[in-house]
Amino acid sequence: MSLKQTFSEKLFNVFNYTFFILLGFSTLLPFINLIAKSLSSESAVISGKVNLLPVGFQMGTYRYVLENDMFLNALKTSVLLAIVGTAVGLFVTTITAYPLSRVQLRGRKWLLLMFIFTMLFSGGLIPTYLLMQELGLINKLPVLFLPAAINVFNMLIIKNYFEGLPDGLEESAKIDGASNVRILFSIILPLSLPVLATIALFFAVAFWNDYFTAMIYITDQDLKPLQLFLKELLVSSSGEFLKDNVDAALNTTPQSIQAASILLATLPILFVYPFLQKYFVKGVLLGSVKG
Amino acid sequence: MRKNSVLALIAAFTLTLAACSGGGNNAPSSSPSPSASANSEASATPDAGNDGGEKPELTMLMQYGLFDPNQDPVSKFITEATGYPIKYEMLPAENADEKLNLMVANKQNFDLMKLGAAQFYKLATEGALEPLDELIEQLGPNIKAAIKDDSWGSAMIDGKIYAIPETGSGISVGEELVVRQDWMDELGLQHPTNPDELYEVLKAIKEAKNIVPLTGTKDSIYGDIATAFGVVNEWNDIDGKLVHKAELPEMKQFLAYMNKLYSEGLLDSEMPINTSAKAIEKFSSGNAAMYKLAWWSASSAEAALKQNFPEAKIGIIPYLKSSNGEAKVGVNLATTWFIAVPKVSKLKEDAIKLIDAKLEKDTFKGLAIGQEGVHHELKDGKYYPILPKFNDDLTNASVFMTGVDEHNYPTYWQARVRKDPVLQSYYEAFQANAANTTIVVDPMSTAPPIDAVSRNKQKLTKLLDDQVLMYIAGSESIDNYDTFLAKWKAEGGEEYVKAANDWYQSTKQ
Amino acid sequence: MKSASAKRGYFAKLATDLKRDWDLYALLIPGVSLLLLFKYAPMYGITIAFKDFNIFDGYAASPWVGWKHFAKLFSSPDFLHVFENTVIISFLKIGILFPLPIVIALMLNELRLMLFKRVVQTVIYLPHFLSWVIVSGLFIDLLSSNGGLVNKALTALGMEPISFFLDNSVFRGVLITSAGWKETGWSTIVYLAAFATIDPGLYEAAKIDGAGRMRQLWHITLPGIAPIILLMFILRLGSILEAGTEQILVMYNPTVYKVSDVIGTYVYRMGIGNQDYSFTTAVGVFESVIAFTLVIAGNALSRKYLQRGIW
Repeated sequence: MSLKQTFSEKLFNVFNYTFFILLGFSTLLPFINLIAKSLSSESAVISGKVNLLPVGFQMGTYRYVLENDMFLNALKTSVLLAIVGTAVGLFVTTITAYPLSRVQLRGRKWLLLMFIFTMLFSGGLIPTYLLMQELGLINKLPVLFLPAAINVFNMLIIKNYFEGLPDGLEESAKIDGASNVRILFSIILPLSLPVLATIALFFAVAFWNDYFTAMIYITDQDLKPLQLFLKELLVSSSGEFLKDNVDAALNTTPQSIQAASILLATLPILFVYPFLQKYFVKGVLLGSVKG
Repeated sequence: MRKNSVLALIAAFTLTLAACSGGGNNAPSSSPSPSASANSEASATPDAGNDGGEKPELTMLMQYGLFDPNQDPVSKFITEATGYPIKYEMLPAENADEKLNLMVANKQNFDLMKLGAAQFYKLATEGALEPLDELIEQLGPNIKAAIKDDSWGSAMIDGKIYAIPETGSGISVGEELVVRQDWMDELGLQHPTNPDELYEVLKAIKEAKNIVPLTGTKDSIYGDIATAFGVVNEWNDIDGKLVHKAELPEMKQFLAYMNKLYSEGLLDSEMPINTSAKAIEKFSSGNAAMYKLAWWSASSAEAALKQNFPEAKIGIIPYLKSSNGEAKVGVNLATTWFIAVPKVSKLKEDAIKLIDAKLEKDTFKGLAIGQEGVHHELKDGKYYPILPKFNDDLTNASVFMTGVDEHNYPTYWQARVRKDPVLQSYYEAFQANAANTTIVVDPMSTAPPIDAVSRNKQKLTKLLDDQVLMYIAGSESIDNYDTFLAKWKAEGGEEYVKAANDWYQSTKQ
Repeated sequence: MKSASAKRGYFAKLATDLKRDWDLYALLIPGVSLLLLFKYAPMYGITIAFKDFNIFDGYAASPWVGWKHFAKLFSSPDFLHVFENTVIISFLKIGILFPLPIVIALMLNELRLMLFKRVVQTVIYLPHFLSWVIVSGLFIDLLSSNGGLVNKALTALGMEPISFFLDNSVFRGVLITSAGWKETGWSTIVYLAAFATIDPGLYEAAKIDGAGRMRQLWHITLPGIAPIILLMFILRLGSILEAGTEQILVMYNPTVYKVSDVIGTYVYRMGIGNQDYSFTTAVGVFESVIAFTLVIAGNALSRKYLQRGIW
């Protein structure tokens, strides 16, 4: 409203901007270092000479990674997994969260407890593996997203958001005779874009970063996602793996290629957030409804 | 209206699921294309097989390697040479044991498995592996010719053979201390020949260059210096008895010496967190003057050093002598891999036939070093790789091996070292230096799998190495070593040592 | 008698509800089915905590051994010490790292330059995508006593260099700082999204009343995101015995076991080469029971004093 700022507000602004500039640099610098390493000669990287600028500039590392069939296959799998997984996960989680956010749902408390119980207790890997085998899901894409599609943490966040919406919204619709499902899809969800965007991001990032599930259930090279490829690339060049294995030690991946692989495996998912940010704009949605 | 929308919703959900699992189902059926192509190639060259008939597809589980085994040139070569189409699956690079247990416990089908020692022992004692004596007797003339009698012991449990043992490349040493020779020359220093001289040299370098002269890594504690104190191998024959290095009185002297280096700033204080890459970085950036170099990283280390100091030179310090003037080098000859046939396999005979065909003299040579004139050439009785063809086709060959022609493999294998002159020069220098010492083979190298040993080995090794780092870094006092040793014994060391000795005494009768 | 009629009353009410809101219940079907199939069906695996489980023999053939594995855990000479480390590190992480993203989110909310705000948001969540191995490498370089930036600064200021990774008095600080650096930016997202739910009319009204930014923050923004803070806090209690095993396994070394060996890392080291599934499961059950108790208690307290909870 007013353009006048008190002195303390000005001081706070100076502090705030400075703080975020410094924080931003601290999180950005490691990536700049990775970029520099990926563009430097291997001997410069090994000797620890590369900081923020490439030494002995080359771009062969990127060509090497991008011409690698395993990398390209893994990229395809990961993109597919992130898209399908996020769609299924967001859908299932949202339609589960809605009834659980309604006080009139009978047994709501016990249902919620039943969901939360699974956040804390799990049967472990062995029976789960057996189950996947019986369902014929080993070495199949759905094993990577179907079990994770109902995510209790994400469900609770959505539920929490739904509970925060004004009660009046659905009252009037109910009087008009709209069904619960209709209320959810035509009234609640359009007002929930910020939380849906957040949860979509959570799902996408979780599917993108998950290598463990694939490590256990996928041996088919064509179905390995990018993070598993990356993990194996890094592990197979680590001291632990190379111990007593001279043949493997002779074939380690150069550090400059490791750096390029890390960057290329991270870059695609980084574009998701800026794209979703526009849904975080404060209060716009609620305001428009009221107006 | 209401009903319709809900039904549509649920239908949509079911469809999504169906579509997804459908997609998944399609994926693997499209994936066997590599093996399918291998298949057609195999049938295109039926003469390669010895009985000409259609051979069944075998499934082999192998250790991790960073490549697609079904697309690798080596897999095509094997199929062409043996007539067997083979589908390869790999264990993951991490959690391999866990994954292996899951697959075997759930009876996943494999015809061949290439296993590490602990994995092999576990599966064999759980009864998951087929005894192979008769099959090898009937179907394995090449196997019998290729594997030496000494090697079979490592794959025998209660007198029965459960795997084809795959030994490595013969006796060779991997690491040796190297030093910045240009600094040594500048300061007029001679190579140290024993720990005392090493101490003086390190002190002189520290004073002149103001750096912490010796660096090291958490993964490579023993060797060189430890050996000079008498801590030679993990197991040592002392008066006919096996003594574990943790029990050696010399261990304390070694640790006291290392702690002295550490506390006087002669040994890198970050040794407990250094990776081998970090150690190379410190050495090549001039932050350290000496460290234990593995020959397989010699060319990258030298290139990195030259990057920073074009005038720098690396000197190799001969293996240090102990107080009685004798230099020793400890080596371990243990079988690296075990090729086993699981009980669930329906093609056990074919599995052995395949191994046998791969160990046929010429086939194995082709697998190890390819074709003469294409992949390698013979100069003065030594095999040299022809680059880049050798790398293009054979980089991953060792991962595919199922046992080696033990009479020839050490010779073939050296072609890999000759891919790079720097690598080769370090490899040869290390071996030459080792030849000037007494090479002591770890007596447990040839032991068969022993229950109490397999069960405790990894845990006790970790326990000891952790404690050793604490003593070196001074976070624990060496005066407490005996207390630790008692704990080590209580945690399984006692039965570990006893079981090893029981076996050792039994070999002497 | 009474209970029977009450029961019938309950089912009668349920029937009415089902008839009225049947589509609401139908919406639960996919989620509950997936939960039953993938989470509850394998739940029988917990029984191996009470068995001597051998994976090759299977569940039925493995003998029951009662509380043996729990006894082994509690009687282990290192247990108390390791448990203490776990609780200390976890409390430090909750105490310092739980409020941090809230503070950062509130500060981000005060940025008025939209482009700057968006760029900062995107940049500070980058470290979430680096694995612990890489983050550990970065901190080792940064804190190295051999040319690390921090120690260079310390020596320039005339102070003694510190071996951060090898010093028992500062290593926990390294763990907390690196965890904070890696995850704080990412953790702000959930709060940033919550700001969007606050009615802008409230701010307008406050401005007319002459409330400054501090007062708006205190009286509108913070209460506006209180429910999500509460939810996150109660859920955070559920991982109280998970002090960051993955992180610590990568970052620690024997010289700092004294202050950083937690339940997860201890069990990992003791289990190397053994795969004692029963013991590992027993430890997991122990952790889960504590976590579940805390979540239930947290929720109950929250309902009592704050009039709202997860359920």
